[in-house]
Amino acid sequence: MIRNVVTLTLNDLAIAFKNKTLLLIFFIPLFVFFSLKLVDRTDADFQKIKIGLLKNESYSPGMLQSIQSADRLFSTFWLADREEGKRWLKDKKVDGVLAPSVKEPQSLDLIVLTKASFQTTAIVESVAALQNAFEGKGKNWISDIRSLQESAIQEQTLPTWILMLTLLIGLIILPTQVAEEKEKNLLLGLLQTPIREIEWLLAKLFLGMILIGAAVIFLHLLGRFDLDLESGASYAAFLLVGGFCFSSFGIFLGFLCRNQASARTLGVLFYLPNLLPSALSDFSQRLAKVAPLFPSYQFYGPIKSILLEGGHLSTFPLEWIYLFSVGLGSSLLSYLFMKKRWLM
Amino acid sequence: MQLEVQNLTKLYQEKRGLLAASFQVEKGESIAIVGHNGAGKSTLLKMLAGWIVPDSGEARVDGIDLKNRSALVRKTGFVPETPNLFDFFSVEYNLKLFARLFQVPFVRIAETLQEFDLLSFRRNRIEVLSKGLKQRVSIGRSLLADPPLLLLDEPTSGLDFEMTTQIYGLLKKIHSSGKTVLFTSHRPEEIKTLATRIIALHHGGLVFDGAPSDYFRSSVHENLYA
Repeated sequence: MIRNVVTLTLNDLAIAFKNKTLLLIFFIPLFVFFSLKLVDRTDADFQKIKIGLLKNESYSPGMLQSIQSADRLFSTFWLADREEGKRWLKDKKVDGVLAPSVKEPQSLDLIVLTKASFQTTAIVESVAALQNAFEGKGKNWISDIRSLQESAIQEQTLPTWILMLTLLIGLIILPTQVAEEKEKNLLLGLLQTPIREIEWLLAKLFLGMILIGAAVIFLHLLGRFDLDLESGASYAAFLLVGGFCFSSFGIFLGFLCRNQASARTLGVLFYLPNLLPSALSDFSQRLAKVAPLFPSYQFYGPIKSILLEGGHLSTFPLEWIYLFSVGLGSSLLSYLFMKKRWLM
Repeated sequence: MQLEVQNLTKLYQEKRGLLAASFQVEKGESIAIVGHNGAGKSTLLKMLAGWIVPDSGEARVDGIDLKNRSALVRKTGFVPETPNLFDFFSVEYNLKLFARLFQVPFVRIAETLQEFDLLSFRRNRIEVLSKGLKQRVSIGRSLLADPPLLLLDEPTSGLDFEMTTQIYGLLKKIHSSGKTVLFTSHRPEEIKTLATRIIALHHGGLVFDGAPSDYFRSSVHENLYA
């Protein structure tokens, strides 16, 4: 009995090796290791907070002197007015804008992109520490925190869910389906009819985009997330190009595999690095620097801006072109693989 | 001439495959392609069906080159050794899908179901059918567009005696309707029953091309499997 169990276990391990499942065992710890390396450490210089101050408003001299002298904590930037401050926040050139309070004299309003972020916490804590050092216990200098993203926390997580769904359909479901069609010779059977390779490819792309669209619409209906018409058009344009990009890349991954198990493994290998740096970029400056290297961030960033910060398609032409180019390149490779009957 | 093959070659990394095969097939012939495993039989049929891209050489069906796939598929039907049907759908769905892609009228589906004795199974999912029934659906599907040339890769492999006899009957009927048939086989009784000509392959090369009676009298038959 033991010999049989050992034989079967070895056989299972051999199968796991053959269909590349074992790669996951090595990849996931490796990925976690590098992700942890990328997450911010307690390096003071690295965590310097970028603060915007407004030229056209008058600050209490004591507060201003304290903030400007704390150059190990803050980098300060003088901005023309509140409008420019909002623009700098959206472009992530500053972490927060400190403006004299309109309601309480001798107080500050802190304007941030989102209240629930490591930058907001760091600014509030640092300003409180400065105040303590300057005047001891007293009324807080920051009397109000205003967020450019006024939406509820549920809505703020929406871009992450959309990214997750898009990547799941594009990088896991589609490669598996393509590999299944190859494994069972269904694709070759279809190519035994007068259809052209490009028609099969377009049908698969439409499938991916329809699945992504349906999942996102379902998510909106369940969460009752509303959109105005102008944002809706920009949002739809990015969903379309994101759907095209990741569906196309997923089909390409499917063409690299002989069977479904390999396709699933390869899908996960691409899914995690695309999902995590983008989804966690709000919580780590280092990850925020690495995330733009992945196509997922070129999708996530604009979607987040359009949904939460009033962004527009015209603000992100390069991201749109980037996603479209990745999709087009992947489709072209898939087409060539089909023509060559690669791994079929 | 129905089929013309000139120096058709496909080599795999392990040096197996098909080496510069050349032959011609007249309309209405029924040709058995024989040889040991790895001799290049399936490779030859798959190249003619467009499943494998040849390294070199040419082939024409009714004057249409292999590279002209969209025209060629109307001239050639291919039945692989393992039926490649959409398992989770019904017999009728599988036929309808291909009828739609071939743009043949749906009346062909009813005719095919009738002709291949599949009427009572038309609503059954493929995955619940026996291998023999799947093979009948597969042959029926390959003939939906009425191609003049039918290629079959080991059509009775893994079938019991009764199913094998049924498939022989079907193939005889198809052949007698004027179609040209090329099939690979290991079974002497199959070759004797169905073939009007035999092409033997050995290590990727063509070693015999002639009548079945000559083949069984010659030493090729014995040496092939030695």
